[in-house]
Amino acid sequence: MLRFRRLVHTAIKKDILVVGGGPAGLSLVTALKNSALTRHLDVAVVDGQPIVERLGNWAANNKTTEFENRVISVTPGSVSFLEKIGAWENVVHERTLAYDEMMIWDGESGARIEFDAFDSATGTVATMIENSNVQQALLNTGNTRDTVIQAQVEKIHTVNGLPTVKLNNGIEIEARLLVGADGQNSPVRQFAGITTEGWDYSRHGVVATMHLEFDDFKQTAYQRMLKTGPLAFLPLPNATATLVWSTYPERAQWLKQLEPQAFTAMVNAGVRLDMADLDYLHSLDPKNTDEIIYEVTWRLNTLDEDDTLPTRVESIVPKSVASFPLKLRQADEYISERVALVGDAAHATHPLTGQGLNMGQRDVAALVAALELAVSRGLDIGSLDALEPYPRRAYLQNQLLLGVNDSLYKLYSTDCEPIVRLRTLGVQVLNKLGFVKNKLVEMAD
Amino acid sequence: MQRYPGHVPLNTFQRLFLFASSGIAAYISPRRADLVATFGEMTSQPFFARRLKKQMLSDPVGRELLREKPRITSKTLNLDYLRSLPSNTLGNEYVQWLDKENVSPDTRLPVRFIDDPDEAYVIQRYRECHDFYHAIAGLPVVMEGEVAVKMFEFANLGIPMTGLAAISEPFKLPKSMQKRLFDIYLPWAVYNGFKAKCLLNVYWEKELERDANELRKELGISLPPDMRAMRATRAMRPKRVVRNVIRPDSDPIYEKSN
Repeated sequence: MLRFRRLVHTAIKKDILVVGGGPAGLSLVTALKNSALTRHLDVAVVDGQPIVERLGNWAANNKTTEFENRVISVTPGSVSFLEKIGAWENVVHERTLAYDEMMIWDGESGARIEFDAFDSATGTVATMIENSNVQQALLNTGNTRDTVIQAQVEKIHTVNGLPTVKLNNGIEIEARLLVGADGQNSPVRQFAGITTEGWDYSRHGVVATMHLEFDDFKQTAYQRMLKTGPLAFLPLPNATATLVWSTYPERAQWLKQLEPQAFTAMVNAGVRLDMADLDYLHSLDPKNTDEIIYEVTWRLNTLDEDDTLPTRVESIVPKSVASFPLKLRQADEYISERVALVGDAAHATHPLTGQGLNMGQRDVAALVAALELAVSRGLDIGSLDALEPYPRRAYLQNQLLLGVNDSLYKLYSTDCEPIVRLRTLGVQVLNKLGFVKNKLVEMAD
Repeated sequence: MQRYPGHVPLNTFQRLFLFASSGIAAYISPRRADLVATFGEMTSQPFFARRLKKQMLSDPVGRELLREKPRITSKTLNLDYLRSLPSNTLGNEYVQWLDKENVSPDTRLPVRFIDDPDEAYVIQRYRECHDFYHAIAGLPVVMEGEVAVKMFEFANLGIPMTGLAAISEPFKLPKSMQKRLFDIYLPWAVYNGFKAKCLLNVYWEKELERDANELRKELGISLPPDMRAMRATRAMRPKRVVRNVIRPDSDPIYEKSN
């Protein structure tokens, strides 16, 4: 019987097949290979991009190049998880920056809240790191690199009760457990018939890498809560910072059309000027660089110098400007028979608290714990019984975070005066309550 | 810390004290320009001046004004030149109005208690343009005309002091004037004030040579009935003895210059 099946069906057999070689997928493989209980499992990662080629020697090739625009914030909790699975030591540390202060201020009233991790349990708020840096560190840990198969997924279907992935190079892989780490439009999720809830924010996040006028001695992450969406100004080493400016899609489009000097002026305007100024600037012709710079310079000169705000931007790295739509999504289930979803495939959130990657890391930690338990009890790793502890640990926590992010976003996306007054009062009180703030930093971890 | 020449920074107690005392005093004697001006400054912070500044920042002309910060005085406005302009121009209408009302543009007090320099300019500009609002509406500086202009300004700019003046002053006037205000001028003021574009975003100095009616049309203002003529007609009728009335032909808010 077995021989007959082999004759008609020539799929490669894997214990676990991960679709998607992003930080979540690679962390999962690395973590599984690092655990004594799951090390023996036959694991593979499929990704359409040549990640091994691109990232295999990233550390050696990228000592001095410009920072990428995809930079993520990694909380101390995620760092210790990456340390535990052995990947953190492979990170190019010169290209990361751990910041210990965070300042968030109201774009309307200017009310501030300052988080200082110095006296919280963790010591840092988070670490800024390029997406590629995390990926390459994971690839170069253990034998993760050897598990990567570069191919597009053509079709996912069920053969003999097992999920089987057909790749564009003709190979078919059948797995006892198929893990979707394949992003927001997850094909694995669609295969499993799992629906999602949520909505689009009708905002786009504009990212860019920026050179500052001088290197700040403080390591602070800044976020200005504008009515159009938060503008995040996040520190990188060597007088560099990364921008995540969420705004209306048409404004994002407008920003992307700007010349680099005009974009630089607009970022300085976004950090310091009034919303009325920004509204006016956005009404100008994006190609009229001189007028934009003239208007911004005039307005900036009317302001008193405030060194508690981020250092001014001197220039931006050409071609580093990009944008992406912002969404809130939560999959109705994280698991189904022989399928599990992690990372963006399971949920998407507004980036304002920098939790995107960290939620994915927590998913991975929870899924690995579930699989370790299953292996130690001799369960079939693809069965619902084995997977059940994963959503039990991760789902509600993620739901809470999505809700908090969403509420924060909504609280600040208005300039209605009574609401501005109330949130200002709330923030002023909160800013005085050090122990509550420490708790918040620890909770976000 | 002084943020512009003439700025008087206040602490919260001083602010509250000045708010209450200038409010009461200005209500009792609305002819004291200094009290009215102070009360106007006390009530336009922290919210209303900021809102007006935002309105100016969102408009190209408003931005030009904030950038250049022009002042209106008899020196910056060449009154003799304005007299030489054709009679249908804004400049000529303005100077005609000045002559008829016997006032001068030099009577505006400087702003002192607004903290933000831009916001201070916004209030200063409002004050200095006040005569242009009179001229564009053709309303006299008698209390009745003043109330109508104040209501017009309140509907257009939302400065609280103008609104307070417009609702508190009519009741000090005789019945006949009250009736005229409530029937004709206040409805005109509210309707036109809301309909017109923000008058702070008009560079009056650059519009002086334009046809006044054309400008009114562009701003969305229609002329009310001539108040002086109506008063004159009414004055021809036999009079009853009226007690306790503010002398109607004096500027209640601002002192005359000569």
